[in-house]
Amino acid sequence: MRVILTLVRKDIANFLRNRAAVGLTFFVPVALIYIFGWVFGLHQKDTGPTGIRLAVVNASTNPAAQKLVDALATETAFHVITTRELPDHTTRPLAEADLRPLIHDGKFRFAVVIPADVVRTDGIGLHLKILSDPRNEIETQMVNGLLQKAIFSHVPELLGQSLQARARGFLGEARSDQFNRSLARAITTAFGGDPATVQREIEAGGLGLGTLAQPAPAPSAAPPAPPAPAQAKGATPVQAPSAAADFLSRLVKIDQEQVVGKDVRSPLATQLVGGWAIMFLLFAVSASSAAFFDEKSSGLFQRLLAAPVTRAQLLWSRFVYGVGLGLVQLTTLFTAGRLMYGIDVFGHFGSLMVVCIFAAAACTSFGMFIAAIAPNAQAANGLATFFVMVMSATGGAWYPMSLMPEFMQQVGKLTVVYWSMEGFAQVLWAGRSFRELLPVLGVLAGITAGVMAIAVWRLNHKRMFE
Amino acid sequence: MLSLRSVTKRYGALTALDGVSLDIARGEFFGLLGPNGAGKSTLMALAAGLRSPDAGTLTLDGGVVTPADPRTRTSLGLVPQSIALYEELSADQNLRIFGALYGLRGAQLRRRIDEALAAVQLTDRRRDPVKTFSGGMQRRLNLVAALLHQPKLLLCDEPTVGVDPQSRNAIFDYLTALNRAGLTIIYSTHYMEEATRLCSRIGIIDHGRIPALGTLDELLTRLPFEEEISFPATPETAPLAALLGADGTLVSADGRHRFQPRADFRLSAFYTRAEALGLPPRLFTAARPTLEAVFLHLTGRNLRE
Repeated sequence: MRVILTLVRKDIANFLRNRAAVGLTFFVPVALIYIFGWVFGLHQKDTGPTGIRLAVVNASTNPAAQKLVDALATETAFHVITTRELPDHTTRPLAEADLRPLIHDGKFRFAVVIPADVVRTDGIGLHLKILSDPRNEIETQMVNGLLQKAIFSHVPELLGQSLQARARGFLGEARSDQFNRSLARAITTAFGGDPATVQREIEAGGLGLGTLAQPAPAPSAAPPAPPAPAQAKGATPVQAPSAAADFLSRLVKIDQEQVVGKDVRSPLATQLVGGWAIMFLLFAVSASSAAFFDEKSSGLFQRLLAAPVTRAQLLWSRFVYGVGLGLVQLTTLFTAGRLMYGIDVFGHFGSLMVVCIFAAAACTSFGMFIAAIAPNAQAANGLATFFVMVMSATGGAWYPMSLMPEFMQQVGKLTVVYWSMEGFAQVLWAGRSFRELLPVLGVLAGITAGVMAIAVWRLNHKRMFE
Repeated sequence: MLSLRSVTKRYGALTALDGVSLDIARGEFFGLLGPNGAGKSTLMALAAGLRSPDAGTLTLDGGVVTPADPRTRTSLGLVPQSIALYEELSADQNLRIFGALYGLRGAQLRRRIDEALAAVQLTDRRRDPVKTFSGGMQRRLNLVAALLHQPKLLLCDEPTVGVDPQSRNAIFDYLTALNRAGLTIIYSTHYMEEATRLCSRIGIIDHGRIPALGTLDELLTRLPFEEEISFPATPETAPLAALLGADGTLVSADGRHRFQPRADFRLSAFYTRAEALGLPPRLFTAARPTLEAVFLHLTGRNLRE
C-alpha cells in the first residue's frame, strides 16, 4: 500500500507540474460549460431561438392582419423586418416582389406574406404565404412551428371575420345584423355582460366570449371567465389539440415557397458535413502546427535554417502544407458526403474547391496562431481543443446559431467556422456563382491575413526559429 | 576561412558571447572546448547564420554570415547537438529532404546518399524509420545529413552526446578522414579527450570569452608546470594532501588527487615530503598535464562544473 501511495503521489506531482494538463482537466471544461451556458441562453430568463430575421409583407388593410404582424414582432425568436432601405438611405415598406431576391442574397431566410385577400371572400378561410431559404432544416422546422403558433393564435379572429363576410353575402346586411344582435343577447343572457359590446366583438370576428374575460361591471354579476389563450413565448410552440389543429389547418391555407436550394437532395447532410469537416480540419491543422514545438526542441529548425532556407520559407511551407492538407481533407469529407448522402459535390466542384482553399487557409492561419501564442506543444493542444470547440459551437457547426442569444450569434460571426460554413452553404445549397461568393471569400481571406500577421509577429517575438 | 571580429551576443541580461575574435583557417580541425553554458552553441549558431550578433561581424570566405542571406550557408554544414532528424521517416527519406534543401536532385542526390550511408555503415538500414535506430546510429545519420552537399566548413556542436564508445570512435574516425580530405571542421565539446584526440587547434571558451587559443602544446605552455603528480585519495595519503595546498593546486576527482605544482616548486621537494610521511614512490604517477589543467588554470574552475 505504501508503494502504491508513493506512486500515486508521483502521478499527482507530475500532473500538477503539467500546467497544460491541469488546464485541460479543470479550466477548459469549466470555461466551456460557462460559454455553452451563454450559447444556450442559460444565463437568460427566456431560452430558445432568438433574432431569426423574418421579413413580413402585410398587403392587407385588415386590422387583424396588423395585429398578426405585431404579434410576430413581439416574438423574441424573430427579428421582424417590414421595410427595405433604398440606395438614398430612405426606407419603404417591403413588397412581395422584394422578398425572393433578398432571400436569395441571404438578407433573411424567412418571409411571411399577408395578402390583401387574407380573409377569403370566395369561401370560408384564410390565405397566407411563407417564403423560405430552409438551409438549416432544424431551424426551418422551428421557424415553421413558431409561425404557425403565432398565426393560429390569431386565426379565430380572422376566421370570424371570414364567416361574417360570408354570412353578409348570403343573408344581407340587415339579416346579418339581426343575427349578430340575437346571438349577443343570447350570450349575455346566459353569461352576463353588455349586449352591445358582445355584438361589436362578434362583428369583428370574435366569438363574443372575449369580453366576458374582462372584470364584470357589477360585483358578482358574471360567472368566472374562461382562461385566456396561452401567450407563451420561446422555443416551444403552443400545440393546439390535434383535432383543433386539423380543423384550423383546413381553414387556413398557407402557401409554402422554397426560394433557395430547391434542387438540393440532402440539405441536412450539406449542413452536417460542412460543419464537421471544418471542425476536424481545425483539429488537424492545429495538431500540425503544434509540431512546430517538436521541430524546435529536436533541433530540426536549426538544421533546416542552417541550410539555404529562410524563416519565411519555413513558415510559408507550413502554411502551404496546412492548406494542402485542408483541401485534401475537405475534399475527402465532401466526397464521403456525396457517397453517403448524395450531396451534390461535383455539380459545384470548381466553386467548392475555391471555398475549400480559402477555408483551409483560414483554418491553417488559426493553427499557426495557436502555435504562436502557446508556450509549448501540450499547451498548444489544449488551447486548440478549447478554441475549436468554442468556435464550432458558436459558429454553427453543431446546431443552428439562432438557438443562441443574439450576442453569441454576433460572436459566432467572428469565427472561421461560421464563414467557412457560409461559403459551403452558398455553394452547395444556394448554388451561388463565383462572383456571388466573393464577399465570403473576402472575409475568409481577411481572417487569414489578419490571423497570420499576428501569428508571424508572435512567432518571431518568441524566437520560435532560434 | 571563418573569421569572427569582436562578436558579442546577448540574451537579455546574459552575455553569451563577449567580444570574441577568432580566425579559422581552411583545412583546420578546430576545437571549441568549454563547459555547458560557456557560449559554444551560441558561437556555432552565429557561425551557421542561425542568429545575428549584437555587435561585431562574422565572415565566411569574405561573405558576411547573417540569417537574412542564405547564400553563405550553402558552403557550410551543421551537425546540431540534438538528433535533428524526422524520426518517423526512414534514413533515406531524411537524407533526401536535407539533400534537396541544398539543391541536390536526381542521380547526384542518390549517389551522395549511397555514399553517406555507406560511410556510416547504415546502408542496410536505409529504409527503416529513424526511430528504430540505436542512439549511435541516429548520431551517425545526424552527422552525414550535414555532409550531403559537401560543405567546405562543418560545424559540429557536441555531436557525440550520449553516444556509446563504439559509435563515438566511428564518428571520430570519420571526421578525421573528412578533415584529412580537406574539410574544415569546428568541433565544440566539453570533453577534453575529444578535443585532444581530434583537434589541431583548440580554443578554450568560458563565460562567452576565449581566454586561450592554440595547439595542444601551445596551450600546455600556459601552465606553470610541466608535469602533474597523481596519487590515490586514501586516509594514508591525506596528510600529504593537506601539506600540498600552499605549493600548488590539488584537484581531487574519481578517488585520486592530482597535484599541479606552482611555477617555482621543485618536484624533488614533493617526493622528499612523501618519503618523510612513509609513502612509497609506487603510489605516485607523474604525467603530462591535460587540457583540463589548462582550463582550470585559466578559468579557476573545472570543465565539469
